[in-house]
Amino acid sequence: MIAVLGLVVGVVVGLVVRPVVPSGVEPYLPIAVVAALDAVFGGLRAMLDGIFDDKVFVVSFLSNVVVAALIVFLGDKLGVGAQLSTGVVVVLGIRIFSNAAAIRRHVFRA
Amino acid sequence: MSDQTPRTGRQRLVAGLWPPRLTRAQLTVAVLLFALGLGLAIQVRSTSDNDTLRGARQEDLVRILTELDNRSQRLEDEKRGLDQQRSQLESSSDQAAEARKQTQEKARELGVLAGTVAARGPGIVLTVRDPHGGVGSDSVLDTVEELRAAGAEAIQINGVRVVAGTYFTDGAGGVLIDGHRVAQPYVFKVIGNPPDLEPALNIPGGVVQTLEKEQATADVVRSQKIVVDALRPSEQPDYARSSQ
Repeated sequence: MIAVLGLVVGVVVGLVVRPVVPSGVEPYLPIAVVAALDAVFGGLRAMLDGIFDDKVFVVSFLSNVVVAALIVFLGDKLGVGAQLSTGVVVVLGIRIFSNAAAIRRHVFRA
Repeated sequence: MSDQTPRTGRQRLVAGLWPPRLTRAQLTVAVLLFALGLGLAIQVRSTSDNDTLRGARQEDLVRILTELDNRSQRLEDEKRGLDQQRSQLESSSDQAAEARKQTQEKARELGVLAGTVAARGPGIVLTVRDPHGGVGSDSVLDTVEELRAAGAEAIQINGVRVVAGTYFTDGAGGVLIDGHRVAQPYVFKVIGNPPDLEPALNIPGGVVQTLEKEQATADVVRSQKIVVDALRPSEQPDYARSSQ
């Protein structure tokens, strides 16, 4: 419950406070958000499986974000940033879908 | 919650949501989800801003800039062409207007000569009274010739315009001008330079003296405002055409 409240508070604060993102970080924010979403879905699935561990969740969340941003950063340096970020989004999207399917089986038994 | 084993996923979800418990796991997840929500909100807001260039990567920006450059180049070329066209049209319409003005002025001048338009200006009025009928067509012709020689530009006699083709004949009881009977007295309205016209009539042995010899009286009155408004129909020649 507190976790869900944290998400809601984060969205509200982001909309109300309008924090300014430094322009160096700006290109990596969307990828980082998608990576974090993947980690969250993975955590939810683990919780439903009964194997949730907060340490694992923290590590997977942070590493997902960092690795995704790193890949895009590297892609930008190599001149293939657009293609690499598309690839990262595709991979993360597939993972999110498979996690969502597992969650759905738990919740709806279907 | 992971230690409460013999439960289905749905039960675990409900147990995690309610009642709210302040555990370490809940707090860490809440902090991370707070960060996720923050990033989500910022990203959604910056994307829904119309400023799509924010967050675009460098190569996209270069491509967009190149496209804009090409586009502005094309528009610049188009503008130059249209400017040129406009200046051409302006100068040609100016020339056409000037030519039309000159043609109209020419037409008015020729109309005065041909008697198809009315004329006004300084001149004289010559009134010839001939109670004895001694003035014939030859005297009238002499008078007209004398006036023309003195620079008369437009002449009418009793409502008949005198032009290049005018002829005078003697009829029963008076003079016919272009076949029209003209009643006495003969009133010549003449436009020209009055100081030229009046002496030309009054010179010794001139028109006035000749008319007086025929028992007629001739009065010459100068005026700054003579109106010659007798008109002739403009006739299109049947065969002759302008050679220009």
